[in-house]
Amino acid sequence: MYKLFLTFRYLRRRRIAYFAIAAVTLCTAMVLIVMSVMGGFLDQLKAKARGLLGDIIVDNRSYSGFPLYEEFIADITQWPEIVKATPVLYSFGLLRFQGTAQTNTVRVVGLRLADVYQVNAFKQSLFYEKHYPGTTTLEAQQQPLLGFDLEAEPVEVRLENGSPLQVPRPRLPAPYQAALEKSWAAGIVDDESPDSEWSVICRAAGLPTIPGVYEMVDGFGPPQMVGDFQPGLIIGRDILAKRLPDGKYQRLSYYPRGCLVTLTMLPVSEGGVFDTPVKSAFRYADDSRTGIYEIDSQHVYCDFDLLQRLLQMNQAERIDPQSGETIGAVPARCSQIQIKIAPGVEPHELARRLEKHYHSLAGDPRFASRLAPSEIQLISYIEAMTWEQSQAHIIAPVEKERQLVTILFGIISLVSFVLVLCILYMIVLQKTRDIGIIKAIGGSPGGVAAIFVVYGAAIGVVASILGTILGYYFVTYINEIQDFLTSLNPAWQVWDRSVYSFDTIPNTVRDTDMALVIAAAIAASTLGSLVAALHAGFMEPVEALRHE
Amino acid sequence: MNEALLVAEGIHRSYAMGHGRLKVLRGCNLRVAAGEFVAIMGKSGSGKSTLLHILGALDVPDRGDVTFAGQPVLGARSRAGRLAVGLETALRGLQKGLFLTLKCLLLVLLVGLPLFLLIFPWLLPNVPRVLHVSLYGLAWAFGLLGGLLLVLVLLLLARLGLVHATERRRVRLRRQHFGFVFQFYHLLPELNLLENVMLPCKVGSSCWGWLRRRRAARAEAVRVLERVGLADRLKHRPSELSGGERQRAAVARALVHRPRVLFADEPTGNLDAAAGAELMDLLRELHREGQTIVLVTHDAGIAAQADRVLRLENGLLYPAEARSASKTS
Repeated sequence: MYKLFLTFRYLRRRRIAYFAIAAVTLCTAMVLIVMSVMGGFLDQLKAKARGLLGDIIVDNRSYSGFPLYEEFIADITQWPEIVKATPVLYSFGLLRFQGTAQTNTVRVVGLRLADVYQVNAFKQSLFYEKHYPGTTTLEAQQQPLLGFDLEAEPVEVRLENGSPLQVPRPRLPAPYQAALEKSWAAGIVDDESPDSEWSVICRAAGLPTIPGVYEMVDGFGPPQMVGDFQPGLIIGRDILAKRLPDGKYQRLSYYPRGCLVTLTMLPVSEGGVFDTPVKSAFRYADDSRTGIYEIDSQHVYCDFDLLQRLLQMNQAERIDPQSGETIGAVPARCSQIQIKIAPGVEPHELARRLEKHYHSLAGDPRFASRLAPSEIQLISYIEAMTWEQSQAHIIAPVEKERQLVTILFGIISLVSFVLVLCILYMIVLQKTRDIGIIKAIGGSPGGVAAIFVVYGAAIGVVASILGTILGYYFVTYINEIQDFLTSLNPAWQVWDRSVYSFDTIPNTVRDTDMALVIAAAIAASTLGSLVAALHAGFMEPVEALRHE
Repeated sequence: MNEALLVAEGIHRSYAMGHGRLKVLRGCNLRVAAGEFVAIMGKSGSGKSTLLHILGALDVPDRGDVTFAGQPVLGARSRAGRLAVGLETALRGLQKGLFLTLKCLLLVLLVGLPLFLLIFPWLLPNVPRVLHVSLYGLAWAFGLLGGLLLVLVLLLLARLGLVHATERRRVRLRRQHFGFVFQFYHLLPELNLLENVMLPCKVGSSCWGWLRRRRAARAEAVRVLERVGLADRLKHRPSELSGGERQRAAVARALVHRPRVLFADEPTGNLDAAAGAELMDLLRELHREGQTIVLVTHDAGIAAQADRVLRLENGLLYPAEARSASKTS
């Protein structure tokens, strides 16, 4: 009983212990902040990386692709575990915006847009689809030009010199205007773009802003659809827009929606041989932002069937090289199949079954006779994996970084352990005579040692709770703190949104992290008290009583 | 004369001083009867306090034995006896360790085997059965290794027990049968008077035990403080009291657990004449009530108030008159 009594009395009366509490508090908060921010960073990365993928990916890691995907999809969509499956094509190409000198090396992704919307969160990454629902398409399309509604009442805007000016209301071609009005009605506002000259005018005139960049008609004409019909292309946002330090994207006026771009690609045969490059024109239909810079700065998306034709991966006649006669059909190929599975289904086991099923297709009597040996080989390379497995190359390094940073800060936190050790040792030296008294009235060595072990543990408990509260609130309000610091001095901006993929610093604290940090802080403080406790416990009572 | 309560025989004690040793006690013999008031006199540095500490089980002599109520204070008298106590402790530890190990093994067998049969195939469905058996074997090996380690740890603890068997006996005597009053009061400055006096009762209690007897302990502490004339200073801290009051508080703390022997080490050494006289009145009063007191002092006037006065010179104890007589002759 006396151990607890004296521990709490010393804790209250010995102010030097407050320094130990302060040190452990700060270390606890520091480790919790690091774990939470890095953990949140990892969670956000996982969420973003997930955006473009199905629950399960079927792939053979070859640009030659693999055949029998339609047959496979037809088979597996009968399974109750499968909600939707869609083929995807991957290739490399050169992207060039017409009328500019900009040429980018890009990864071209062929997809069936309607299917992909059902399989993953690709739709949420599209800018124009968000503000003009239903207008983004990969089909052939013309360029929409922003014009004016000459029949409606004009609006008044004020020029820079303050004089009023009557201007007609801006208006987009019918389907775009209708979609825009729908999104206005739904309260969708563009908070991803900075103010443009046009949006300032709109706001001054009391009109909702028109998100994105549109080329304007000449003079004050009505809106129009112009140019020849070209297939649509969705472009990674970091290819055509500049990310600003506040996280918004500045779209350039010379990349208006519907502008022409050309894509040059190299088809690859099933044998892996390069053929003649193919070049095709597209119209910029939308831009996508997943949040992963490697994807947003390199990927463009076009229609699956079109890309398949361009890459000569569609079904074709099989010609006998000797006789020159048609001897059957070369099956169409794709690079990947993305699959959405039903809720609650265990993905790893299902991936194994899917892989097994695909391999079995190569030996299926329905198809075996149609496949050339090289095509059977392409099927044998097929793997089915969960989306986490397929994105391991992005996630694993961040996971390792998180572990490394946590360990490093944990090591730095050993300072608190040493501080507890020093302070408790000092207290033991100061209280030497008290230790002698306690032993004289019957305190055992173990009991005296326990006073200081409990003392250390109590410091740990108090400090870890304070540190967890401090760390929790710091992490929760980390963005507000950052904004406040930046308002004092812009140079203090730590989280530059033009550098990071994420708009805000991760600000969630996991319960497991809190529990871990509290346990570690208590353990470190208790261990730190052991040296002092053993010293006190083994002290001879007579020597302690004679201590000056 | 009553039967001896506290007996010291052939007490030797020396201290390391540089390269040599300073022999302070050279074979002191003392018998204190129950209810006796013995004063030990001597010059400063003569070894009075050292002898008192050895008698009060605060210190251990190099040689010699101390018995309290017929029981050895320092453990068994002979080396063989001490070894027997140590061995007994070691065997008890070993026995506990073996039982614990057997219990662990039994637990592994009774709980682990069904769990193994249920969990391993569920956790690792594609792993061949032979690997399951190997894993189980490995778990057993670790279990046995852990058990072995446990036995070794308990043996080590038993060895520590051998070393501290006598320490535990001394702790128990100080806690239950001895009370101390020191020259410099030695009250804990963080506690008020009542808390200081109640501390010996807390030392001997577990948390649960204290909850049950805290009212009784408090009542006893208040009673003793009333007895020494400090009933109105219960909540005062030592720093708020005079020297005489502090020493009376120290006496109260020494008496609160009703010790059979009260050891007083120069209790008046730090007090003025009036406060010293007051304290000696209190000790005499306690003695009249049957309290056994062993007091050391360098003041002949204080010593004279005891039943029997002994003088410590050259590491040996002499009856005060006898030594004086031998000096005269």
